[in-house]
Amino acid sequence: MKKHTVLAGLVTLALAGGLSSCAFFKTEDIIDPNNLSVDAFTNNPSRGQVQLLSNGILATARAGYGDLVASAGAIGRETIYSASTDNRYFTELLGTKADGFGGATDPNGIFNAYYSNFSQTRRRAEQFAKATETASALSAAEKSAAKGFARTIQAYAMLQLLNMQGKNGIRSGYTDLNSPGDQLKPLKFTDYAGGLDLVIATLNEGSTALDAGGTAFPFTFTSGWAGFTTPAAMKQVNRAIAARAFMYKQDWASMNTAVGQSFLSLTGDLNAGPKFNFSNDQNDTPNGLFQLPDGNGAPYVLFDEVVTSAEAGDTRIANKTRKRTATRSSGGIPSNYEIKLYSGVTAPIAIIRNEELILMSAEAKAQTNDLAGATAAINVVRTGAGLKAYSGASTKDALIAEVLKQRRYSLLFEGHRWFDARRYNLLGTLPFNTSPYKVFDAMVRPNAETQWELANPL
Amino acid sequence: MNKKLLLMLCLFICTVGAVLAQNQTLRGKVSDANSTPIPGVSVIVRGTTQGATTDAEGNYQLAIPANARVGFSYIGFLSQEIAVGNQSTLNVTLLEDNRQLEEVVVTGLATSVKRSNAANAVTSIGAQQLTGVTRPQTVDGALNGKVPGVQITANSGAPGGGFSVKLRGISSVTQASEPLYIIDGVYIDNSQFATGAGTGSFNRATSQTAGTQDQASNRLADINPEDIENIEVLKGPSAAAIYGTRANAGVILITTKKGKSGRTTVSFGQDIGFAEANKFAGLAKSPWNLDKINNGVFLVSNADMLKLYTAAGGDNAPRYDYEREVYGNRALLRNTKLNVSGGTDRLRYYVNGSVLSEDGIQKNTGFKRNSLRANIDAKLSDFVDIAVGSNYINSSSSRSFSGNDNNGVSLGYNLAYLPPWLEQHVDANGNYPENPLTGQNLFQVVDKMRNTETTNRFIQSVTTNFRFINTTNHQLKLSLQGGIDYLLNESQAYAPPEMQYFSGGGAGLGYRGAVRNTTNRALNFNAQAFLVDNLQVNGFNFTTSVGTVRLSNNSTQSYIEGRGLKPGPVKNPNTADSRVTDTYLTSAQDVGVVGQEEINWRDRVIVTGGVRFDKSSLNGDNSKFYAFPKASAAVNVANFDFWTNKNTVSALKLRVAYGQTGRSASFGNTFTSLGNVAIDGRSGVVVPSILGNANAEPETASEIETGIDASFFNNRVTLEATYYDKKVLNFLYQYQLAPSTGASQINAYPVGDLQNKGIELSLTGQILKGANLGWTSTLNYWQNRTTVTRLSVPRFAVPSSGFGGFGTNQIIQGLSPTTWYGSPYAADGTPTAYDNSQPKFQLSSYNNITFLNNFTFSFLVHWSYKNYNSTLGQELMDEGGTTPDWLNKDNLYQADRVKASLGDGSAFNGVARIYGSPGVETRQFVQDASFVKLREISLYYNVPKVAFGKLFGNAVSAIKLGASGNNVFVASKYVGYDPEASNFGNRPIGTGVDLLSFPASRRVFFHLNVTF
Repeated sequence: MKKHTVLAGLVTLALAGGLSSCAFFKTEDIIDPNNLSVDAFTNNPSRGQVQLLSNGILATARAGYGDLVASAGAIGRETIYSASTDNRYFTELLGTKADGFGGATDPNGIFNAYYSNFSQTRRRAEQFAKATETASALSAAEKSAAKGFARTIQAYAMLQLLNMQGKNGIRSGYTDLNSPGDQLKPLKFTDYAGGLDLVIATLNEGSTALDAGGTAFPFTFTSGWAGFTTPAAMKQVNRAIAARAFMYKQDWASMNTAVGQSFLSLTGDLNAGPKFNFSNDQNDTPNGLFQLPDGNGAPYVLFDEVVTSAEAGDTRIANKTRKRTATRSSGGIPSNYEIKLYSGVTAPIAIIRNEELILMSAEAKAQTNDLAGATAAINVVRTGAGLKAYSGASTKDALIAEVLKQRRYSLLFEGHRWFDARRYNLLGTLPFNTSPYKVFDAMVRPNAETQWELANPL
Repeated sequence: MNKKLLLMLCLFICTVGAVLAQNQTLRGKVSDANSTPIPGVSVIVRGTTQGATTDAEGNYQLAIPANARVGFSYIGFLSQEIAVGNQSTLNVTLLEDNRQLEEVVVTGLATSVKRSNAANAVTSIGAQQLTGVTRPQTVDGALNGKVPGVQITANSGAPGGGFSVKLRGISSVTQASEPLYIIDGVYIDNSQFATGAGTGSFNRATSQTAGTQDQASNRLADINPEDIENIEVLKGPSAAAIYGTRANAGVILITTKKGKSGRTTVSFGQDIGFAEANKFAGLAKSPWNLDKINNGVFLVSNADMLKLYTAAGGDNAPRYDYEREVYGNRALLRNTKLNVSGGTDRLRYYVNGSVLSEDGIQKNTGFKRNSLRANIDAKLSDFVDIAVGSNYINSSSSRSFSGNDNNGVSLGYNLAYLPPWLEQHVDANGNYPENPLTGQNLFQVVDKMRNTETTNRFIQSVTTNFRFINTTNHQLKLSLQGGIDYLLNESQAYAPPEMQYFSGGGAGLGYRGAVRNTTNRALNFNAQAFLVDNLQVNGFNFTTSVGTVRLSNNSTQSYIEGRGLKPGPVKNPNTADSRVTDTYLTSAQDVGVVGQEEINWRDRVIVTGGVRFDKSSLNGDNSKFYAFPKASAAVNVANFDFWTNKNTVSALKLRVAYGQTGRSASFGNTFTSLGNVAIDGRSGVVVPSILGNANAEPETASEIETGIDASFFNNRVTLEATYYDKKVLNFLYQYQLAPSTGASQINAYPVGDLQNKGIELSLTGQILKGANLGWTSTLNYWQNRTTVTRLSVPRFAVPSSGFGGFGTNQIIQGLSPTTWYGSPYAADGTPTAYDNSQPKFQLSSYNNITFLNNFTFSFLVHWSYKNYNSTLGQELMDEGGTTPDWLNKDNLYQADRVKASLGDGSAFNGVARIYGSPGVETRQFVQDASFVKLREISLYYNVPKVAFGKLFGNAVSAIKLGASGNNVFVASKYVGYDPEASNFGNRPIGTGVDLLSFPASRRVFFHLNVTF
């Protein structure tokens, strides 16, 4: 008994000593072993870090485009993502489920990815501008150039998002970046017109910053941006996107001015313009809009009406579409043609092309009654498509109709037809627009956004 | 020496004295239902003090007076009393008593209490009930239907398991909310490791690079159920509080078998059997004619479908039952075990080796487990003892591809879209005909693609006790315990380059062939030290324990995927055109300090109070301690002197218990870190859209449990009734932000409170207890209701809880988080609430019947009532034209079709009810998955020794033969394969999403057991 008590003391002592010395009671303050810290990059980044952040912006700017093309393509009755294992791409998007979802697609459904993607690009571009602002390694001009680039990308993403959301508008901003701890509170929604003004203001801010941006950026660009790697050239891209925004705003004079300041060339390559790069490499993204012929998994097929409405001899049909060996059916809608716009998973995707600029120029000129100028621009595109010069009526309305028609084929599968039909009130003329189908005028606001709004009324 | 002499003298006198008074000698053997002899059984002549105990082989000898009644009793078994009559030999089989009131249950990390004094309803499942009936593949499978208060769901029927286990409803909303499993004190890993089978290169269930829909098994599958002596289920915080921040989802304590002192027993067992699909969807039964060809909504136009149909031979084309060709294998099941156990009163050992090999109902699938366990218990002196348990496991599975799919690879999908007349059989040249509908031939998937995993694992436990004080009314011991669980899990998903879905005819991914090798390494370590003091004073018993616990784990999960493979058998990603890789590291440490006091007054009133303080590196503040208190009281009314009717009501206990547990944030949820991207050969970083919560605190669950336990007629009937109210406070979940901010969520955010209320009833009766006919029956009933009682964030749809309009789970204040929601939406965007994935109730009945001395018949029936799945099974089959009732016209949604100007609205079922058809809302896809399953059934025969005694000399002591079945019968109206399915794997919310997962199988065994 006595022996045991002594032993007890000894064992307990040894244990207590052992426990404290072997750090039995220690729990580490673990830092993330898998990823880099945000602070190190956003607070006074080095040149190397600025380069990594800019690569990040160039990569993230791609996100959302594929989803936009898939959704806008279906609603604009251009293409269908004919997924063999998920019919929501041709039930919900074509409006056959609209009754159950309050006249839209499922707000909790699968079509919200673009919303997050474009919003993330908007945020990341803004954070990039703020981060470079704090970089002591950069000159004032370099900071200005970086800001101009960031605002251009930011506005591009905002405009894409705004067009998808249409009448629902976009957030006029968010406050958290300037007041930490407020948990990412967004500001009020704009309407469509207000959204356009916001996009234009952002672009103008970028343009001004680029003007003060000296002759070189403090970082290099991916190969898709070849020809647009100086602040001056970046401003041409900025103005090209501004022309788009003015077009949606129907501010034809400003549109004409902006397109004139862009990289528009009536004699140049129709495909000239900055591009997104893709690959299957680690952490990269493949061009998901590329497809092999006659795929049965989830091919992008056409509404046959796109092909049958084309003028005979239009080379864009042969260049961009392919006849399928078997007719694909998407919820009963037959497609004999499919898309073949891209040559492979590493094929770049255009951000904005000269061909669009030419057609925007034509539209701006027609709208401002420069009918000859409009016709000349249209004919550049028609010639490029192997068609004879325009021979229709030389009236504003006829020329606008012709511009829209050329936009349909020149910009096929680039996500324009739905927005074009909407801005000229032509949604009612699209195929499959009566019960059980419905042509939407805007993508539904995601449920998470609606619920936030209800819980945090502004 | 003197002592021994004295003892012998005493013994001699007693024996002689006893013999003198007797006129008859009774001999016999006592064994359990498995014919294993039970040593140490006390055999007592009623009304006297005469008795004996059985020896190591279960034999006893006893002198008895005429017309004696002899009682047999042993801890853990139901006592028996038998009138001897004029018999001179009496062999007795004692049935295990899983409601045994003298059994002990765990109440602390180093203490336990007699079950009759416990304040919680702790369910205890013994070996007989766990694996004595049949041979479920995994431990969680073996528990299914046996524990009131538990919802166990098989994620799919693929070999190698995959079960989600929920104790008393929803304890946590995050993915990591499976109960804590502890084997002999070792905190084991029950991860469901990603294999990549659901990623882009394979079935593309998800476009993410890390798999959330891989249909993987959980690592409890490594544990050999036959090594288990006992499982205790601490269902809620009131019982599990002492486990602190690891115990929010409950604790499952597993004790493995130990050697018994006595003669060495060698036992050999061989099970052989077969498995076959329980149910087919009946795809080949769907009639095809021109009506279907011309009216179906297929993936090719009706005209092209007609061309295919005509080319195949039209109405006269041969019809193939592809479903049976894929899932119709009669799989061979083999299980061999050899164990040696025995020991002395100082050293006991149990060594068990087992080899399990089970094929699957689909060619090239199966599950194998080789396990070796050695348990050694040594009593070094009266002062110190030590117990060591070692387990090595090598397990492997091959599960093929099932569940969600976007490449045409998953066989459920492929079959649903495949008309029975379309020729898909491989031709004489080894070519697989292309599938013009989904782009992938199913037999090519079966034959050429692989989804395999192999695990090598060590589980090691050490327990040692130092008894410093050991007197009659005062004991003090130091109890030390340590455990290590190390596992290496290697999986491979493989698709050779010739797979059709890589080509233009299929999905077309831009490369041909892919192999992903995944390596998951996990190390779990735990250690604890406790001082336990036991003091008896004036009828009071004080048990005081103080101690500390440390848990740590770290893991590495990494993969290399090669894309673009060269033809040939080599599967090394090095030979691929390009590679993607990922490595993810985790680590965590928890430290707990515990104090507990138990006061027992004459087994009449027992009160317990305790508290655990926990800190964890997973919390925002790694050094802050959080307190988890507990308190309980039990009153044994029948033990008071005033209780006179003990023969009728032998025990009556009123109990109430309260306790708190917690759960820290999942690893990584406190970090906000940059994301890695690449473009054009450059790497880049992006600010994240998912933010960490650097201030994350543990979520907590507090529970009050109250109940009545009673037993009647000398424990012949026992009743356990429990009500609980479990609140989960500040449950951690993603705070879903307005996506317009560019940030989608804040992780590990305290988003609200949940409440679970439930009832658990368990009634056991020895209905018959004759020597020749015994019947013990247990009836369990349980139900649980969950409500979101507070929500501090906007209501939200739980990610990965379903597919939009097919039904999702949403977190909405005042409603159940497991309700299915969907269309139609009200004008303000409020979705319609449908039924719940939690059953209204579950009921199970376990029966054990012994007859003709040597036969034992057992069965377990399990009923789950009104649990609903969000299923796409019928939808996919309707789209493919393969539903058996496709051509019926049941006027489904006719009014809506008229409204939508589709003629008179008449339509075939297969068109009228598919997604997108007029009037079809989420109601269509939320389907009743109620079932009644005959989970287990068996008949065993103990061959009488006279039948084989001469055959093997005296070497063989027992032979047992039997036949059994596992899930042999399922009654359910469910459309598809099995009502138990979960596409997204183990998750508290979002179980029951079914996309034609791997069919469940019926398993039938024949058993041979020989004991030497």
